[in-house]
Parts: sequence; C-alpha cells; structure tokens
Amino acid sequence: MLIDQKMKMADVVLHDPTLVPVINRFGIHLGFGDQTIEEICKTHGLHVQFFVITLNAFHDKLYFPTEQLQSFKASLLIDYLQKAHRYFLEDKTPEIADLIERTLREDDVNKTTYGLIKKFFNEYREEFAKHIEREDQIIFPYVLKLEKALEAGTAEEQLLHKIQTHPIVEYEAEHEDVEAKIFDLKNIIIRYLPTPNNDALWYQILREIFTLEKELAEHARIEDLILIPKVEAMEKAIKGGN
Amino acid sequence: MGQFRNVVVIEKNYLIQAGLEAIISELPGMVFQKACMGSEKNLAHLLIKQNPDVVIVNPFSLDQPVAVFLNTLNEHISPLIFGLMDKSAPENMKSPFANLLFFSDNKLEIQKKIRNVCEPVSDEQDKKQVLSKREATILKEVVLGLTNQEIADKLFLSVHTVTTHRKNINKKLGIKTVSGLTVYALMNQLVSMDEMENKG
Repeated sequence: MLIDQKMKMADVVLHDPTLVPVINRFGIHLGFGDQTIEEICKTHGLHVQFFVITLNAFHDKLYFPTEQLQSFKASLLIDYLQKAHRYFLEDKTPEIADLIERTLREDDVNKTTYGLIKKFFNEYREEFAKHIEREDQIIFPYVLKLEKALEAGTAEEQLLHKIQTHPIVEYEAEHEDVEAKIFDLKNIIIRYLPTPNNDALWYQILREIFTLEKELAEHARIEDLILIPKVEAMEKAIKGGN
Repeated sequence: MGQFRNVVVIEKNYLIQAGLEAIISELPGMVFQKACMGSEKNLAHLLIKQNPDVVIVNPFSLDQPVAVFLNTLNEHISPLIFGLMDKSAPENMKSPFANLLFFSDNKLEIQKKIRNVCEPVSDEQDKKQVLSKREATILKEVVLGLTNQEIADKLFLSVHTVTTHRKNINKKLGIKTVSGLTVYALMNQLVSMDEMENKG
C-alpha cells in the first residue's frame, strides 16, 4: 500500500506498526487521534513530502521514490539519518548486548559457548560503530558542504576535487559486511547454539536480532534510494555549474 | 542456505517486478530477495555481494551489454539465471540464457519453469550438510587467519580448489564471515582457544 499525506496517521500505524520507531525518530509519538499525516507534519514543523517518502521506503521494499527527491533539503535527510544512527547505537545494540549478558548469568548455560556469542556480538558492535562514525564524520559533512555550495552558487576547489575523486557512489557498497555478520549470528543461534532452559530469554534475543536486521535493511534502503540519488544530483549540478 | 532460495529480479517495469514477486512468493522455499531496475551503478557487484541463488534478468532493462553483465556475475557467483523478455525478442538476446521466461507465459508456466530448474539440486545438497574432513581442515586454517594462497601452499592444493571448498563451507554452515566461522569452529572444537590466542 502506498502511504500518502491525506491518510490518517492512526490508520497507517494500524496497517503497519513497525513504522512506530520511524515516526518516533521524527519526534511524533502515539496518541495522534484522528489527524492526517499532513496535519501532524504541520504541527511538528516537518516536511510533508520527506516524511511520506521515508514512511513508504520503510513500508514497501519495492517502493521507488521518483520526482519529489529534490523537494526537500539534504540537511533534513542527514538529520533523520543521524537520529537513526543514534537509535541503533544507543538503544538497539545495547539492548541485545544486555540480553546476551543476562543469558550468560543463567545457571545452566554453557559459559564458553555464550561467551563466544558475546564476543562475536561485541565485535559486531565495534565494527558497526566504526561504520556509522565514518558516515557521520565523512559522508554527512560532505553532503552538507555540497548543499551549501549549491545555495551559495559557488564551490571551493577542494570540494570540486572531492566530487571527482570520491563521489558518493563509492560509499554505496559499505553496508554489506555489517549485514553479513548479523546474518551469521542468526544462523549460529538457530542452527548451532544449545538452547538454555530459559526459552523466553533466548527467543527474545533472536527476535531482537531479526528486528535489528530488518531495521538496518530499511535504513540502508533509505540511504540507497533517497540519499545517494539526491547527492548524485547535487554533485552533477555543481559540476555542471562550474 | 539449505533449501531456501533467494531470488533477485532485474526489470525496470514495476508491474512486472511486482508480478514476479507475487508469483515467486507462492513457490515453496523461494524467497523474493530484491528487485533491481537494471540501471544501478555497480549492479553486478551489488548482486555478487547479495549472492542470490536465482537471478531473473530482463536484458533490455540493463544499461550494459548482457554478455558483460553475465560474465562479471559468473566470475564470482553461480546463480541460476533466467532471461526475461518478450517471446518475439531477437535470437541474440535469447541465446545468452539457458532458461527463458516470457511475458506471455501464464502463472503456471512460469512457476513450472522455475521449479524445474531449481528443484533437483536442492535434494542432493541437503543430504550432506556436515563438513568433510578436508573442509574441516580448511575451515581451521581460515579461522587461524591464513589467506587462500597460504592455505593452498600448506595443503598442496590450487587456490581455485581452496576457494571452492570455502564456498561449500559457507553454504553448508550458513555462515559467511570469518568471525562467524570462528565462533562455529570454537563451539565445535575444530580449533582450540589456545590455538586462537597463539595465531599472532
């Protein structure tokens, strides 16, 4: 289903509750009564089109935004992506680490085996944090510079050089290894890990890992479908303008 | 990956993408992994990383020659490939493909074509999920940090053979990364903590 701005926010969430964390990231919380997406965006001072594109990109994996990409500022998108990064780093991954820690404290679990899972997950977290840091410190500032240059109508030599040598497409393939690790973790848990007596805890870990994987895939889709095409267009405009 | 097969569709027409997704989702064990437009930059490399089991590609959606695209894919991965086009497409567009799906095929024909090609392999593969002795040896060396070249030299094998073994190990275990393989190897005592710590 395609989501549009005339729809009631409540209906959209009833249809797909996994959109809740996305909506939260925009500062919108449950309890929106009968308001439409458009009305809610107005009260929160949000860019309607950007909000709707983001919801759709999360909701439908075949969704492909087309012409409206130029209608909002890149800084808006960067702000959103940074919030998502913090959610992964500060909420999601610590939650899973904590669950693994709790499992390790159970009496009947094999400490060596679960110790390995803990180590694996910690390595994953470090790598993931590095990946995010790279985006936060290199890619996002680059995008913001592009936008500034476009607004000013002039670009510094250094920036022009960077467009030539490190265009945004080069960053595209970066997500993959982080994704592969999550995939492996699922497989190890499901296929090879002896289940502790506390089934519920074990299941919770598994469920959280699946959720994380899904949310990361959606996040990657936002970057691939919205950020990269938008930045490519900006790069092109600057190159053409000079 | 066991019995499940990931399918990627490369087709710029959205209706056809969505239609194939619906048809594929009805087949047992087939998972619709991704739809591509065909114009993505580095499309072949994107697919190599995703490593799908089945690729359905409309050569007219590609913005590169189909032969170049298929060669790049086949150098790294070996998915089952279907060409997707109109029945009246010229012979030179059809000939690169061993399997063809046509827009005029009905649902049953498409499902039959896909199943015919995909099914015989899965039975045979699933019987031997346990690592062979050779694979276990290679797994251990991988986990200890040796490169394919070093493993080949040490065990008197060609690099190509080592690569094939590694692919089979990944497939059988469902684990792709070295750190994931390490957890598996340690859990199953294929390698000891001491050996891991002394690897330098």
